Amino acid sequence: MSEPLQHMAVHSPLNGTTAIPWRSSRKRLSLLEQLKGCQEAWCPGAPWDREGAHAAITGTPAGSFLVVRDAVTSQPSLLCVSAGANNEEVLDYNIKCTGTVFQLSESHLSFSNLAQLVFFYSLTRDVLTVCLSIPRWIYSVTEANKDRLSQLEPKTWLLTPAEQQTDQMTHSEPSNMMCSIQLTSTSGALCIINPLYLHEHGDDWLTHKVTTSQGATQLSNYRRERRLSTTRSWAGAGLQSKRAISLDQEASAASTENSGLIRARSADSPDCAATSQTPAGVILRRPSQDAVAALTNRVSTDSLSTSTPSTSGSTTPELQRHSSPVPQSPHRVSWIEDGVWLPPPRPSSWLQPPSLELDSLSISSVEEEQESIMSSPAQHHPSAHRLADKVIHRLSAVGQALGGLVSHRKRLTNRVQELSERKGGAFAEAVKGFVEIALKKGVDPGRVTGSEILQEVRSSLTSLREMLLDSLEIQTLLDSPGDISDSDIDSLVELSIHKVALKPVSAHLYSCINTSLTNDGTFERLQNNLYVLEKNGVEELGGSAGVGVPDSVTLERIQQRWASIHKAYSPNKKVQILLKVCKSIYHSMTANSNSGTVFGADDFLPCLTWVLLRSNLVTLQVDTDYMMELLDPTQLQGEGGYYLTTLYASLYYISSFRPRLAARQLSVEAQQSLNQWHRRRTLHCNQSRRSKHRRTIRRQTCQEPKPEQKEGNNPGNADESQQQTENGTEALQTLKEEKENDQGAKDQSQSGTPTSDCPPMTEGEVVTGKQEDRQGSCVAGEVDYRGEERKDVR
Amino acid sequence: MALRELKVCLLGDTGVGKSSIVWRFVEDSFDPNINPTIGASFMTKTVQYQNELHKFLIWDTAGQERFRALAPMYYRGSAAAIIVYDITKEESFQTLKNWVKELRQHGPPNIVVAIAGNKCDLSDAREVPEKDAKDYADSIHAIFVETSAKNAININEVFIEISKRIPVADAAGGTTGKSFKLGRQASESRRTCC
Repeated sequence: MSEPLQHMAVHSPLNGTTAIPWRSSRKRLSLLEQLKGCQEAWCPGAPWDREGAHAAITGTPAGSFLVVRDAVTSQPSLLCVSAGANNEEVLDYNIKCTGTVFQLSESHLSFSNLAQLVFFYSLTRDVLTVCLSIPRWIYSVTEANKDRLSQLEPKTWLLTPAEQQTDQMTHSEPSNMMCSIQLTSTSGALCIINPLYLHEHGDDWLTHKVTTSQGATQLSNYRRERRLSTTRSWAGAGLQSKRAISLDQEASAASTENSGLIRARSADSPDCAATSQTPAGVILRRPSQDAVAALTNRVSTDSLSTSTPSTSGSTTPELQRHSSPVPQSPHRVSWIEDGVWLPPPRPSSWLQPPSLELDSLSISSVEEEQESIMSSPAQHHPSAHRLADKVIHRLSAVGQALGGLVSHRKRLTNRVQELSERKGGAFAEAVKGFVEIALKKGVDPGRVTGSEILQEVRSSLTSLREMLLDSLEIQTLLDSPGDISDSDIDSLVELSIHKVALKPVSAHLYSCINTSLTNDGTFERLQNNLYVLEKNGVEELGGSAGVGVPDSVTLERIQQRWASIHKAYSPNKKVQILLKVCKSIYHSMTANSNSGTVFGADDFLPCLTWVLLRSNLVTLQVDTDYMMELLDPTQLQGEGGYYLTTLYASLYYISSFRPRLAARQLSVEAQQSLNQWHRRRTLHCNQSRRSKHRRTIRRQTCQEPKPEQKEGNNPGNADESQQQTENGTEALQTLKEEKENDQGAKDQSQSGTPTSDCPPMTEGEVVTGKQEDRQGSCVAGEVDYRGEERKDVR
Repeated sequence: MALRELKVCLLGDTGVGKSSIVWRFVEDSFDPNINPTIGASFMTKTVQYQNELHKFLIWDTAGQERFRALAPMYYRGSAAAIIVYDITKEESFQTLKNWVKELRQHGPPNIVVAIAGNKCDLSDAREVPEKDAKDYADSIHAIFVETSAKNAININEVFIEISKRIPVADAAGGTTGKSFKLGRQASESRRTCC
């Protein structure tokens, strides 16, 4: 247990807080940094003057710009912006630069450097006629290749189709904008709109051509881009190869081959020749729902058929000419950069709460959701009417996400596979080396445990992943702009690695875990305790009255899922299936309860335990260890991590449960059912009466141990309670309790029980049971903390 | 805007209303379209705090005595723990004190502890005086509120207070990149150890 959690800690510089991982080596620079890096390109020095700039800019898409320096002072003096390819007009704006402050003459906004100014006006036009447009390729400049930025020239800067400035938005509150946005990557943007606005003004504006907003256009362009890039007809082919040459010159064979590949790709899908093609322009302006809905419809077909003609109609420049000068819509409060997920579309309005809950939309949850909706829509939501809508939205959203991710994953997986098979390739060698070493590893009793083997495997997987993420080929593949978030990239690469590296060794790892768990007696304990616990109902396991358990059909289905967990070699895949199991357990729990009841862990853990007791514990333990150790540590804090922990905890509860403790359990139930009590008492009557008398005297009136008395549970005392030295421990513990426990005296005085040697049987049993349980917990705690100590030592 | 994930662990006797509190906390953002969590034992909610987004990952624990030894698996790595007791059950307050002790000894260092006296709508049946609980909370520098999941009293406040007490991500750079680097270094050093 401690080990995977240790990984978790590793990722949290402050305890419990996880900053969103940002790989330093391939970290994308912020747009501002990128702009600064290539300032020479868009703000060239001496030979460039206004005429030169105009000549260069004329004919470029709207928003393309250069800053010209004053011939004398060589301070930036003029911002030249293209008004659009078709009207061949270049607009000039004077730049005032006083001391360290830069501003446009017409505007009151000042900036501390030129890049900030440009950045700002790429987001909002303020006094400009059009927003500045920043070439799209700039987003994919990373720390690694940023040096090359400074070598760019104005021609290069303007040459690239500058049409896609992604998340550019016109904005009614520019200053606010600056605060609320960090445009550090192109990965997805979440639109927050003010529901009040919609409430007041309706959403008709969404359909009016007249109220075109540039943002909407940009968004739909962006969406289109996303769609394109998730299918084979990826639009940046020319661009991409250009970058491979201009930015990554040192990347010899690999990049050349890669760009070749991309060219080939673009050749076989003629529709993607130019980025500037847009789907039939006008509809696009309905920001996302139509675009998304349309997308969704297409996604499935797109990802299946390799060449889907894109609905190209008008060209972007035209579109931008239409759209850009139009004042921004007031409803847009902010854009917040976020993951791949966008709020699910709604056909009639955007009235959904502006929530940022992008959570749990791991692929797994999404798939789960989809599945459960499809399989049993009725039980998913009581209101059929609402359900219909929700299902549609949900499915379309799911379709969108899956369509994008799945095809992306496929490409990536294929490429990783290819890399792993390439003769003499570095990655192929690394994989080969890993597999060889992993297959040689074996459990060595007393020296090498299963966990240690798995941990080594885990760190090798991480190294392999780093290697891939740093490799140019994969970067090029992943950098298709705005496609997926960094964390999704990580998990996609992770999954690809599972396929090439983990798959060949998974069977061997199973057998290592098997040996390890056999040696340390876990299997035996599980098996023994299964016999003790299996007859218990969910309430005896701690569940509250009224909580449901899976019926036989569901249970059967769960068994199948366990089987498929075992078949899966990828820990991520296993966790996905686990989540499905947990979901169906939850369904069963709530099936017969009042709608208002909220079942938390108090009930889920007993229910899960109940299910486990009817499952193959041994296999499950193997799979659980496998998942715990091999799952990407960053996954451990989320939903998957939670339920995995709970599975582990439940198995741990079963395996550390000591048969004699059953007495305690029955004691609790006995208070409710005399009948049951008698049955069980006879079952356990011989067990642990050692220190019964004393405790009876002290506590026989306690229904439950008083909290202070639970002190014994506290792992702080754990060292003293060794299973082997039970008697001593009990004595010790009792002593200890008497010292520590002021409540104890009170109990004693309250009890007023005759100090008889033969206290009433029931009471004696009850108390004994409690004591036993407490001790059991001690032992459990001890084992657990031993794990922690080990961690500390490391 | 930076997004930070904060793992929050819920501790407390069974039946004190741990999951109801969480449910109440997330319900206004709860839309099955957006937040399809599997059940109430793990829920998330993102709130804005100053210039950060705090995404609470809320881990519920089973409060039964018999599961007590399992708690470390849950609270490990938590940024905060909310320990819930029932103001109408003195015993649940005693349990709370034990949780505090345990967290001090074995919990993550610097874990933010919040004490929530739930069911404050049932003041007629009160067994734990508010002052006692408040004094205790102050003595251990914990956040203290009396809540009612039923009447939605003080639920958000608990989380707001937690947000306030979470250490600032990174005083100097404040970039996510930096904090990740730290993580990387740690993981590398770990690698060499194994």
